Amino acid sequence: MIMEHIQFIAPEISLLCFALLIVLLDLFITQKRVLPVLSVIGAIVAATFIIVIWNTPPVGLFDKMISIDPFGLFFKLLILAATVLVILASHNYVLKFNKFQGEYYALLMLSAVGLMLLVSAINLITIYVALELSSISLYALVSFLKDKKSSEAGLKYLILGGVASAILLYGMAFIFGLTGNTCLTCIAEYVRGMPFKDLQEVPALMIGLVLIIAGFGFKIASVPFQMWVPDVYEGAPTTITAYLSVASKAAGFGVIARVLMTVFGLPVWLHNDWAMIIAVLAAITMTVGNLVAIVQTNIKRLFGYSSIAQAGYMMVGLAAMGLTMGTKENVTGGLIFFLLSYTLTNLGAFIAIIAISNKINSDEIEDYNGMIKRSPLLALGLTICLISLAGLPPTAGLIAKIYIFSGAVNMGLAWLVVIAVINSVISAYYYFKIAKAMWLGTPVTEEKVDASWPEWLALAACVVGVLALGVVPGLFMNLTTAAVRIFGI
Amino acid sequence: MPEITYSITFYLMAAIAVAAALGVIILRDVFRAALSLILLFMTVAGIYLLLHADFLAIVQILIYVGAISVLIIVAIMLTRDARQGQPLGKIKWVAGIVALALIGVIAWGVINTAFYLSSTPPLEETVKPLGNLLFGNPGYMLTSEIAAVLLLSAILGAIAVIREK
Amino acid sequence: MTLLDEFQLFLKTLGWPDWAYYSVPALTGIVIIVAAVLTIVIVFIWWERRLLGRFQIRLGPNRCGPEGIFQPIATAVKILLKEDIVPAKADKVVHFIAPIAVFVPVLMVFAVIPFDKAAILVDLNVGAIYIIAISSLSMLAIFMAAWASCNKYSLIAGLRAIAQMVSYELPVVMSLVGVAMMASSLSMVKIVEAQTLPFILLQPLGCLIFFLGSLAEMNRCPFDLLEADSEIVAGYHTEYSGMKFALFYLGEYGVAFVYAAVITTLFLSGWQGPFLPPVLWFLIKVFLVFTLILWMRATLPRLRVDQLMTFAWKFMLPMSLINLIVVAIEILLVPASLQWVMIVINFGLAAVLILLFSRMFTFGGGRVEV
Repeated sequence: MIMEHIQFIAPEISLLCFALLIVLLDLFITQKRVLPVLSVIGAIVAATFIIVIWNTPPVGLFDKMISIDPFGLFFKLLILAATVLVILASHNYVLKFNKFQGEYYALLMLSAVGLMLLVSAINLITIYVALELSSISLYALVSFLKDKKSSEAGLKYLILGGVASAILLYGMAFIFGLTGNTCLTCIAEYVRGMPFKDLQEVPALMIGLVLIIAGFGFKIASVPFQMWVPDVYEGAPTTITAYLSVASKAAGFGVIARVLMTVFGLPVWLHNDWAMIIAVLAAITMTVGNLVAIVQTNIKRLFGYSSIAQAGYMMVGLAAMGLTMGTKENVTGGLIFFLLSYTLTNLGAFIAIIAISNKINSDEIEDYNGMIKRSPLLALGLTICLISLAGLPPTAGLIAKIYIFSGAVNMGLAWLVVIAVINSVISAYYYFKIAKAMWLGTPVTEEKVDASWPEWLALAACVVGVLALGVVPGLFMNLTTAAVRIFGI
Repeated sequence: MPEITYSITFYLMAAIAVAAALGVIILRDVFRAALSLILLFMTVAGIYLLLHADFLAIVQILIYVGAISVLIIVAIMLTRDARQGQPLGKIKWVAGIVALALIGVIAWGVINTAFYLSSTPPLEETVKPLGNLLFGNPGYMLTSEIAAVLLLSAILGAIAVIREK
Repeated sequence: MTLLDEFQLFLKTLGWPDWAYYSVPALTGIVIIVAAVLTIVIVFIWWERRLLGRFQIRLGPNRCGPEGIFQPIATAVKILLKEDIVPAKADKVVHFIAPIAVFVPVLMVFAVIPFDKAAILVDLNVGAIYIIAISSLSMLAIFMAAWASCNKYSLIAGLRAIAQMVSYELPVVMSLVGVAMMASSLSMVKIVEAQTLPFILLQPLGCLIFFLGSLAEMNRCPFDLLEADSEIVAGYHTEYSGMKFALFYLGEYGVAFVYAAVITTLFLSGWQGPFLPPVLWFLIKVFLVFTLILWMRATLPRLRVDQLMTFAWKFMLPMSLINLIVVAIEILLVPASLQWVMIVINFGLAAVLILLFSRMFTFGGGRVEV
């Protein structure tokens, strides 16, 4: 009976085994270049397992601890893709860690295991433990550089993360106390059976809901739980910044969507309540993110605020998803599509930044002046990603925004979409500030900037993905609609 | 245990716990604050005992009093001016008001909610059922395994973070 | 059904009110325990001083009463009459609480020690972990004393206490898990009842690790770095005198009694034995273990701090892990009728492992390597 279950968590187990293998091999071998190869192989093996079990009907495993469904599997693939791309992008960067490259890769993979379990968890306890697994690995990774900024970033991330998970746990305790269950579907059943008509009649549910949103809000960096983002993004190793901004955020959205949709999806008054909370937070989040991003001069900080703003757009999709529950409409895949496009775009941008900063040892935007002359391809790749982030054709960003905003308008969130569009215009300003510096600025030196072949490979994959999503989005739409179909009624 | 003894014990424990928790924030001497925290842990263990969760109570003492507090104390050893502590900052009033508001909201929530009450009587022998639940299937087997991986990643992370540069 | 339960039932039949038949047996039990512990501790002190005299080829105290039996009492009176000195810069409150906090956990542990099948205060079903949890409290109290004294020697002792506690608690718990698995219970009474063969025969390695670990937990030679008088005066109780010092002194022997009793219960089949009454068997075994502890003290020199840590992390921890896994496998595979196979395997394994580790690891030569 256990064996039947284990085949479904084979992706996580194989990834874990490769992580352990890396730690062990690291002790014996001197040729550290084997380690990234192994970790990429591990991720590919895990992805293969996911594809093998892709078509199984949704099933809950280990006494309703985790579930195997298209939604979770999609996120797992996304996380694995992000992990592979980050590992490829780390090719030169890890040389800074000389003896500790094995730990770097192992922690990265352990954190990926945690995130993968997180997106498929359907029990509060599993959610919490998986969240901690990913977070603790990331705390260590953020402070991996061991310089002043990195240590400060690690400490900030650790303390704020600890507070956030305490808040989350407190919220879970309220929900458990009210319902006597930890499995999401059992809680949902209890909640649907409640004879109330308003959230104020069940204060514990209200407090639990707010605390859970706050706890996950930290993970997805929504205002007002975004304080950690700029410092951590700036101080962390750039590869880890990239990982944090995509994989961690995607998994955060995966789990918050699953919890809110499954547990608080019905009755109707309940999802109206939280969708409104999310919608208001979304408006504040994107406005704050975009306005503060304008004045940034450090590219990592700028991308930190940009990622806050992007989280705001995604929360628009989340709110729209919530409002569709209980109506005849199909749940829209806007959020998922946006996450896919955002992951590729942001990773692409970060890979270019990593390659450039490896050479010029600076993260200041003014040092990017005239990058087009020093490295035309890197500058071009970065520009395409910036265009996509700003949401302009012919890239993924445009389609994703249209998809997510049209879903929101359908659900009567027109006011929110207006704010979002205004925000997109604002964001174009600072994205093009970088592009302008690269294309029109005069370079400080004429020294060429080059990248290693894994970095080129990763960047090419991202750029091709961004363009493909922008030109032929139809191919991926089906995938995203299939992923969210489990939330239908 | 008779009802009255039970209530008296509970309120005594609860009062000490609240007082100790206040002590943790109010006491300037960091070491005394840590001792106050340890007292808090012990009263929490006492409350677990009253709830018939004997294993949990003992583990609370073993882990929180025996291990976590040791970590805190080691951290205090590395602290300068541990006896002076840190004076409360400028925003202490804001923090106080926010904390009070939070307590108010939570108290309102706890009082006004009909919480789920289990009707099953407490177990006499707790260790074996707990073991079966933690490591069995159906049970929390998967979670326990994830927790093991979590510890591994914590160890790896600690080694990597404290490495010589 | 313990004796106290019976007492309680008896009071109930007499028609005593609720609060009385709960509190009276509890208080009686506590008084009996305190009295018994203090008496045995006094005998321990006498035994240690006399025996240590023999080990060191001298007589030891022999003037006060027959064979010097009243010497501990005379010492106690002397200590109690001394002035209680508190250093001016000490943290007075903590300085006052610390000696009490050292002694109370020692007494608390005795709540779950079965002197006989029925002679136990309360047969907790988590008894074995209770002992580990509670005895970790007294190490904390030692640190309180060290910190509150505001004395650098005390503080060094406190640091050593923390390091020692963190390192040695792990192997102790690990070897205890082996016992719990074999007895398939954590209740002390059930653990004793499960020992048709004493567990020292079935798990010699576990017993050795538990014994060494508990030596470290009770700060006995060769692990008595906390009060190494040649290095740090008297360690954590440098600044204590009078009654407070007496409490530390009592606590130290109390802990020795506790661990002797725990080892007796876990590995030497507790009160069980032929001919003699169970309580007597229990006390004989306790005295045997205590004498062994004394013997170690008289024979072995004190370890250095780095040696202490190396010993814990490089010898005790791996050994206890191996022991745990081996025991677990044996419980699964070896049927109960073939226990002698287990004895042979385990003794062989213990011998091989100890030999191997003693070859593979050195604990640092004459130089401190940090």
